[in-house]
Amino acid sequence: MIAFILRRSLLSIPMLIFISFISFVIIQLPPGDYVTAYAAQLAKSGDYLSAVQQEAMRERLGLNDPILIQYWRWITAIIFKGDFGYSLDWNAPVSTLIWDRLAITLALSTASLIITWIIAIPVGVYSATRQYSVLDYVFTVFGFLGKGTPDFLLALILMWISFVYLQLDVGGLFSTDYQNAPWSWGKFVDLLQHLWIPLVVLGTSGAAGLIRVMRANMLDELGKPYVETAYAQGLSERQVVWRYPVRVALNPFISTVGWALPALFSGDVITAIVLNLPTTGPLLLQALKMQDMYLAGSFILILSAFTVIGTLISDILLAWFDPRIRYA
Amino acid sequence: MALTVLRVGDEEKSMNAKNWFATISLAALSTAALTVSAWAFQEAPMLTEMVEAGTLPPVEERLPTNPTVVDALSVGEYGGTWRRAYSGPGDRWGPTKLMEERVLKWAAGPDGTAQLTPGYIESYSVNEDSTEFTFTLLEGLKWSDGHPVTTEDVRFWYEDIFLNPKIVATIDPTFSPGGVPMELEIADERTFTVKFAQPYVYFLQILAKDSTGEPSLDRPSFVFPKHYLSQFNDKYASEEELAAAAAEFGVASWTDLWGSKGAATAWWANPDLPVLTAWKIETPAPAENVTMVRNPYYWAVDQEGNQLPYIDRINHRLYQDPQSLALMVAQGQIDAQDRGMSEPYDFYKENEERGNFHLVPWLGSGVWSLIPNMNTTDEALNALYADERVRQALSVGIDRELIIELTQSGLAKPVQAAPVAGSPYYQEDLATHWTEYDPDLANELLDEAGLAERDSEGFRLRPDGKRFTIVVEGGDMALSKQLELIAESYSEIGIEILPRVIDRTQFDTNRANNDFDMQYLVFDRLTYVPADPRVMMGSESYANQSYVWYSTDGASGIEPPADSDFRKIYDLWDKASSAPSVEEADKSMNELIRTFVEGGYVIGVHGAGVRVNVVSNRMHNVQADLVMDDIFREVGLSRTQQYWLDQD
Repeated sequence: MIAFILRRSLLSIPMLIFISFISFVIIQLPPGDYVTAYAAQLAKSGDYLSAVQQEAMRERLGLNDPILIQYWRWITAIIFKGDFGYSLDWNAPVSTLIWDRLAITLALSTASLIITWIIAIPVGVYSATRQYSVLDYVFTVFGFLGKGTPDFLLALILMWISFVYLQLDVGGLFSTDYQNAPWSWGKFVDLLQHLWIPLVVLGTSGAAGLIRVMRANMLDELGKPYVETAYAQGLSERQVVWRYPVRVALNPFISTVGWALPALFSGDVITAIVLNLPTTGPLLLQALKMQDMYLAGSFILILSAFTVIGTLISDILLAWFDPRIRYA
Repeated sequence: MALTVLRVGDEEKSMNAKNWFATISLAALSTAALTVSAWAFQEAPMLTEMVEAGTLPPVEERLPTNPTVVDALSVGEYGGTWRRAYSGPGDRWGPTKLMEERVLKWAAGPDGTAQLTPGYIESYSVNEDSTEFTFTLLEGLKWSDGHPVTTEDVRFWYEDIFLNPKIVATIDPTFSPGGVPMELEIADERTFTVKFAQPYVYFLQILAKDSTGEPSLDRPSFVFPKHYLSQFNDKYASEEELAAAAAEFGVASWTDLWGSKGAATAWWANPDLPVLTAWKIETPAPAENVTMVRNPYYWAVDQEGNQLPYIDRINHRLYQDPQSLALMVAQGQIDAQDRGMSEPYDFYKENEERGNFHLVPWLGSGVWSLIPNMNTTDEALNALYADERVRQALSVGIDRELIIELTQSGLAKPVQAAPVAGSPYYQEDLATHWTEYDPDLANELLDEAGLAERDSEGFRLRPDGKRFTIVVEGGDMALSKQLELIAESYSEIGIEILPRVIDRTQFDTNRANNDFDMQYLVFDRLTYVPADPRVMMGSESYANQSYVWYSTDGASGIEPPADSDFRKIYDLWDKASSAPSVEEADKSMNELIRTFVEGGYVIGVHGAGVRVNVVSNRMHNVQADLVMDDIFREVGLSRTQQYWLDQD
């Protein structure tokens, strides 16, 4: 098992380098570069960079160098100094920009993932064991509705309701007064007041899909001989269902745990923008639009790293969870 | 609501504008001397605390001997935090324009007119032929850290920065008219003179808009804090010291510390940088809340001797989407802001009570315009654009009233892209040139221009047999409704319009790469045209490539035909920018404007619209009906240091 983990980890390094290189190139594919985007932004605010100034800026930022050299500068600094480079747009080292946001994103996404599971697994199991019951139909209707409603729309509706009817301060994770304040009870309460909308939005939409998956998997399993055998042994329904078919039906959840990690960071950009959340999504989008290569590149690199790590975790979990895989 | 920008009376018009500005500043200075010596100075409670704690010298020692007097609309109360919002690093002009300082700056007079008023100078003078400009700094002027400001800071700015090719690789033509950089002469500790090789009558106005840095917009004019910045300058610091400084700021080389995005010299990024502005940065981006705090050494007082500003702090909250900002406004989280308000007027009006705010109307000076690409490489289209009849048809073929009614809540006017009412360059016939909706005339003109043939769907055919189709690009989703209405208007006269709303970066890149048929954007800088005539000369606009040809002396870009209006326009600017007197310069300027507008190179749709400006009911001294133009530094015209908040 340990050899397996080691081998997989080592293999992921060239993979990561390859991904980082490709993403660095892709970021640069659209016409223009950071200076063009910056000049455009200036022009929008009514100011100008002359062609000469633009050229000087390109020279200063090293944007005229061949892309291989730019990539080399960036990746070697990361590998040897842990330095992710400088965000041209924010005028700040990339590392000061991303870690806070990554932490918030991780916390938010983990919480919503847990909510998803808490809702989806019992409901899925219930729907499968009580197929075509009234509640099954109710869950099905809500499931399809939830799956069909885009997150950002749900976010807008919830914001509108809390704004118009509940008179709540919505948008962002903190109100202005607490944003720069150190942690306190008041700040925590303030966070809870803001947190429920994103959690509901992110949690329910995920749950809607997972309910269907869980239900279908359970239905597949419930008819199998081992279930019949278990019943024949005189076990109660609760014991049979939760000990055997549920474990098997959870298989796809486990194998996609790895994808959940990167999805946490890149997913729901629109929702985050609508809700004004200080997560990574909006920052990544802005970095891509501005062709802020070092920032965008770092995000993509980190995302890829999470994908690789996540897949690794999935594999290990799956091997641990489902004995059949270990022996396959 | 009348647009009044610069109500220059007839007798003033006949005066030399140099004198006109000088009169205003002299008047201000004499009141300054009279009122201030009569009263003791007052300061904000938060500063008094620091003085009592012994961390700050008393207010008399911090202020100049004769501080600049800002005549506040009403004398205010000290304290409070002004809540605003910003959309990210690209939006730093939000904070910047609130607190720019210059030797001379546009400020609104009590009647709302824009006047050039002295900043941190005691006096200035201009010689007979406008080649020499002399300024005297306030006596006892200090940086925000208490260090005195002297002409040594001017010399440092000029010799070690402005003329330092490592920091400023090329000197902007604005500061080197005729290709010769301005020269500096220092008389004493407070007085210096800048000289030009040729007359430069618009220099003071350019200074008020552009300052003198590189590219400068938020720098004070002529001065840089030598005592702080010399540690980042190659003339004063060793190579090791410079390398260490670069490492400390996390940039690759010491030159990255400089410039408009420089880590050390950008005021909004570096809290240690001494400034002359009313507030200075306290918590810089990327914080979710970017805050500014009052400068204890700010050098201006109100009419009763209260040191300005009144407000302690400014807080900028980060938002990702304009809708989020609109929501913050409706929830009463914004104290005064006009920037980024893209929602329609009605939305704000409806939520005034809930959000405890009111709208103080300001006026936009820009005109939403269709910009045909006069340099397009599509030869048939180019030939059509070059035909004056086609340009006229494109202009009279738009139902402007309908667009204003349906998309602007009726709060704009059908105007041409020409100087706005109240501007000294305003001409009524130009403002309404070709703006009357007349589809019959448009059809007639297009028939005459050889476009009489139509296809089965009723669209006209170009001489090369293709349908007369124009792709119109917009850089913002909010424009799609207007573009649809324009398309409808044009289909009536047999022209097919394909509206395309694209990403803003792509939109601007297309213009830079000469890759568009027509774009829809705001044509601005229409109040005091000579302060920045570039857009009217085609730059980043209707003839970008021709302007490139002009500005690079023919080295690149597209050469306009010998008899073209463009050459005439460039010649007129050359003449205006080197004329020895304002009268002569203005004569060329007016001719330039006339040539541009009568040529119909840009098709103005609507302008003189209301600029949504949200002001909380706690906020005072926000003057109504001001004209917002980049030339006046927009919100800067309203003199933000005199804003104040109710204290309870």
